[in-house]
Amino acid sequence: MKLGLYLSISPLLVVALGGALLMLAEAFSHHREEHETRSEGPSASLAFGTAITLFTGAIFAAAVWAVGPETLDGAKDLAPWLIIDRFTLFFAFTICLGGGLASLLAGGYLPEHRIDRGEFYPLITFSSVGAIILAAAGDVLTLFLGLEIMSLGVYALTGFRRGSARSTEASMKYFLLGSFAAALLLYGAALLYGATGHTDLAGIRAALVAGNLNFGLVLIAATLMIVGLAFKISAVPFHMWTPDAYEGAPTPATSFMAVVVKSAAFATLLRVLLVAFGQPELSSWGAGWPPIIATLAVLTMTVANLIAGRQESVKRMLAYSSIAHAGYILVGVTTTMRLHEDGQASVLFYLLAYTVSTIGAFGALILCGSRGAEAVSYEDLAGLGKRHPAVALVFSLFLLSLAGIPPTAGFFGKLYIVKGAIGAGLYPLSVILLLNSALGAYYYLRVMVFMYMREPAPGAAFAKPMKSGYVTTALVLAAVAVMALGIWPTTSLQVALHAALAP
Amino acid sequence: MSDALFRYWPAIVAGIVGAAVPRRDSVKLRAGLGFIAAFLVFAVQALWPEDPSAAHAAPSEWPHLLNVLIFLPLIGAAAVLFMPRQLLGLLRAFTLGVLGLGFVLSLMLLTVPMSTGWHFVSIHEWIPAFGIRWHVAVDGISLWLILLTTFMTPIAVYAAFGSIKTRIKEFCFAFLLLQGAMIGAFVSLDLFQFYMFWELMLVPMYVMIGIWGGADKVKASVKFFLYTMTGSMLMLAAIVYLVWTHQKLTNTWSFDYLALSRVVLPGPSAAGGGWQSAWQVTKSPQGLCFWAFSIAFFIKVPMWPLHTWLPDAHVQAPTGGSVILAAVMLKLGTYAYMRFSMGLFPGPASSFAANLAGIAILGGVIYGALVAWKQQDVKRLVAYSSVAHLGYVMLGLFGVSPSGMQGAVLQMVNHGVSTGALFLLVGVIYDRRHTRMVDEFGGLAKQMPIYAALFLIVTFASIGVPGTNGFVGEFMVIMGTYTSERLSTFSGIHTVGASAGVILAAVYMLGVVQKIFFGPLTNPKNKNLPDLTVRETLAVAPLIVMIFVIGFFPSIFLDRTKDAVQLEYNQFKTVSEQSIRFGDEKNAQMLPEDDFSPAFLRGAPGFKEDEKPADGAEQARGEGDAQ
Repeated sequence: MKLGLYLSISPLLVVALGGALLMLAEAFSHHREEHETRSEGPSASLAFGTAITLFTGAIFAAAVWAVGPETLDGAKDLAPWLIIDRFTLFFAFTICLGGGLASLLAGGYLPEHRIDRGEFYPLITFSSVGAIILAAAGDVLTLFLGLEIMSLGVYALTGFRRGSARSTEASMKYFLLGSFAAALLLYGAALLYGATGHTDLAGIRAALVAGNLNFGLVLIAATLMIVGLAFKISAVPFHMWTPDAYEGAPTPATSFMAVVVKSAAFATLLRVLLVAFGQPELSSWGAGWPPIIATLAVLTMTVANLIAGRQESVKRMLAYSSIAHAGYILVGVTTTMRLHEDGQASVLFYLLAYTVSTIGAFGALILCGSRGAEAVSYEDLAGLGKRHPAVALVFSLFLLSLAGIPPTAGFFGKLYIVKGAIGAGLYPLSVILLLNSALGAYYYLRVMVFMYMREPAPGAAFAKPMKSGYVTTALVLAAVAVMALGIWPTTSLQVALHAALAP
Repeated sequence: MSDALFRYWPAIVAGIVGAAVPRRDSVKLRAGLGFIAAFLVFAVQALWPEDPSAAHAAPSEWPHLLNVLIFLPLIGAAAVLFMPRQLLGLLRAFTLGVLGLGFVLSLMLLTVPMSTGWHFVSIHEWIPAFGIRWHVAVDGISLWLILLTTFMTPIAVYAAFGSIKTRIKEFCFAFLLLQGAMIGAFVSLDLFQFYMFWELMLVPMYVMIGIWGGADKVKASVKFFLYTMTGSMLMLAAIVYLVWTHQKLTNTWSFDYLALSRVVLPGPSAAGGGWQSAWQVTKSPQGLCFWAFSIAFFIKVPMWPLHTWLPDAHVQAPTGGSVILAAVMLKLGTYAYMRFSMGLFPGPASSFAANLAGIAILGGVIYGALVAWKQQDVKRLVAYSSVAHLGYVMLGLFGVSPSGMQGAVLQMVNHGVSTGALFLLVGVIYDRRHTRMVDEFGGLAKQMPIYAALFLIVTFASIGVPGTNGFVGEFMVIMGTYTSERLSTFSGIHTVGASAGVILAAVYMLGVVQKIFFGPLTNPKNKNLPDLTVRETLAVAPLIVMIFVIGFFPSIFLDRTKDAVQLEYNQFKTVSEQSIRFGDEKNAQMLPEDDFSPAFLRGAPGFKEDEKPADGAEQARGEGDAQ
């Protein structure tokens, strides 16, 4: 009986236990009938409970970080299935933060739009558990397990609005393509096992270093794994499901997908690339994965930004913007080939900055709409700056952060990635990234144009902002984080640097 | 007290004359004019260069002055958010109060003699992991630009409150934010900090054009934002490249301008003339970084062919926004070229000098003037005249001669004052008639005599009639062009082109004055136009006075800029030669500290002033005073 073991996986345990309790609480809670107007629904207490659970998980992650996972006796017992290092803890923190903020958003959104059913909260919690497992997985088997735990919850969340054909379609599409991607990943893992005889990432690396392998098999396996993960981070050309799924899902679920799923997928991508395929030859420009990742990055940024500019729906635009941000992060992943720690730290910092900015943007979009008048298109937002200046101001802040205007978190994240890319000698890549962010500014600004510079057409329906303490709390937390990470990034930078995987 | 009374009697007389002489009914207007007259004469007296032997010991510099100048409006902007939007009077008074207080505080900058080197330095560690520091300082070049900013913004806001009646709260917020960002950009010596303020400026200006602009405001504001942002993205890449090079050479991270100016990026070893070598320079890292910085600044200036956002932005912007855009924001482009492009990449700046000067003359001075000539919209005409005027400023900088650079700095201030005044005056007829088309007017001098007189004075300033500010600046720039070593064989033809621009300026400006103010008053809509209101007069009056103050007493201004310009000139000369000598196709190098004046490097990270250079600095200061 090792206390250190339980302590080291305490973030995971806290969230899992909380999820089980929430499920129990949900089963006994009073279900609101659809026709009832203003009685207490399950959201009132469950959203709070979920947020507490996930934030507690984040606090535990921070606490284990402060103690130091390497000093905990027994933390290594679960390796290689679950690796509890600072990298995992950083991602556990980010995931819990993103999940907690998303559940706060749900606490306001679900009752407002009359889809106030308690399943949402256990689903979001268990998905977060899967995401943490995914981030911690050091073995292909646990990796697959984590991926499926995470994804199953998210499939259900996407189709949460049962009555809506769009939501169901989104869920179906996401489910089919997601399973397809998981199958590719699994196939790649199986081939890798066939080639090397190992399922744990460190063992695979050792076998690759030892050489004497069927190189063609390894190549196909690596490609399949990268493609499977590219589906999850929605990199172009594997992004087709993203806009539909993001648009069809209820907005809190969308924000959860955009931040938590993406963070966890990037954690895995980094771990697979750097641990399993991390030996010098495979991570060199000439004979390894960096050119593949760089090509994906360029395609993802450019295509997503170009399409995002043509969207008529703000939610769909934000979906494409999240694809574009995946492209920026992929540039950071590419830089790890030459700048091991710095490159990873830039990815980690960017994910943190992206989490708070994106949750904020989706949350502001939620706050802009109310039942029957949800903010979807640009026209819905026309004149919002005049009608509800506070909502418009906070929305603008998150958009500016996503566009990368100083002094916000988004700017500093982008600067860090560019710094890495230039330091690694990837000059064209960094220039493409920067020009893409100028391209991206266009569609973020367009939202501000509608909020501040247009008036709704006479007689046209426009969104009426809702009132919700939950959503407001989430937005205030996110706004503080966006400004703090932008103006005083020193601490979080050091944390991100510490969290990098050892070479 | 009696001493002061005795010393400043001309100011008191000017105040009495200003209040008593003009025939005006309103007591408020008389008091305001009297105060403006007295204040300006007082300022001229107080600033008149004193006999160096009588110079008392340098007063101590308050290190937080610049921080206060930056954060006062920013905190004011945050405070505006918490004020009720119904209390228009409170919002207006608060904004004007904050900006006025900023102006008064900025006058403290004049209390110290602007000797060589940095003044009012304030340095704090900010993000040590990246070597980013909060580093603000002022020298003779940025001094007048800061004062121009703090001088113009209260005027612009005061005038704008006359015409802007909707969403006052947002307007106050945007203006205060803009003010803080502009001052921040002028005083930052850390490239990260500079970039932050540079980008931060965009947002309030974008909002200002987009909300209170004219019919086509959205297109103009988005164009403005995207143009500038694209340029600054390239600059960001170059900044990071430079920082990395510095890190590889010294093993320390620093975004500090002073430290980075010692880095010589790889470039061709022998830079000759001709297009062949221009291409050699361009494709080297040194040249690429020079262009990345300079294109960002050229967009802001704007220089042909990157000027196309400017007419749209100006025409659509509200009067207050146009004034600030023309008077201050465009100066950031010229200032930043002078400070950063010339300071960090003297080699390319020197080898491209003749070509760039040719673009400044053909694309700026002459093309801008010809296009302005054909404009029907007065505001568009003034916008194109800005392109022409800033062509002179850039010409002075490209020529790199002491008088040309000093003329350029003075011309930046001049253009701010006279073009700001022109935009204010164009706003006056627009508020009355809601049109700015030249054809709609004619014979206004009979109906609005004071307006016509003021417009004519500002026109004279704009075309550089002797006795007004424009003359001094243009004369110095043209003289500098002729004597420039960089332009070598081309200096003659450049001088001819620049002089031709002066004539063209007279053609288009006087042409429009003639069409608007003289001839018969035919259009019946113009029959009952009232003359200037109290608010309009009070807004324009200080600018008119400044036109003559600079025109008659340029030494007040030149005296404080000359040491800084001389330092930059010497350094440019040494370093551009050094960087050619040190130039290496593959490797970057650090210039030795001896190549720089210790007064320049003071405040750079890791720079220790030991005994000897400290003496040198004192000596330099003494020389500066003696000059």
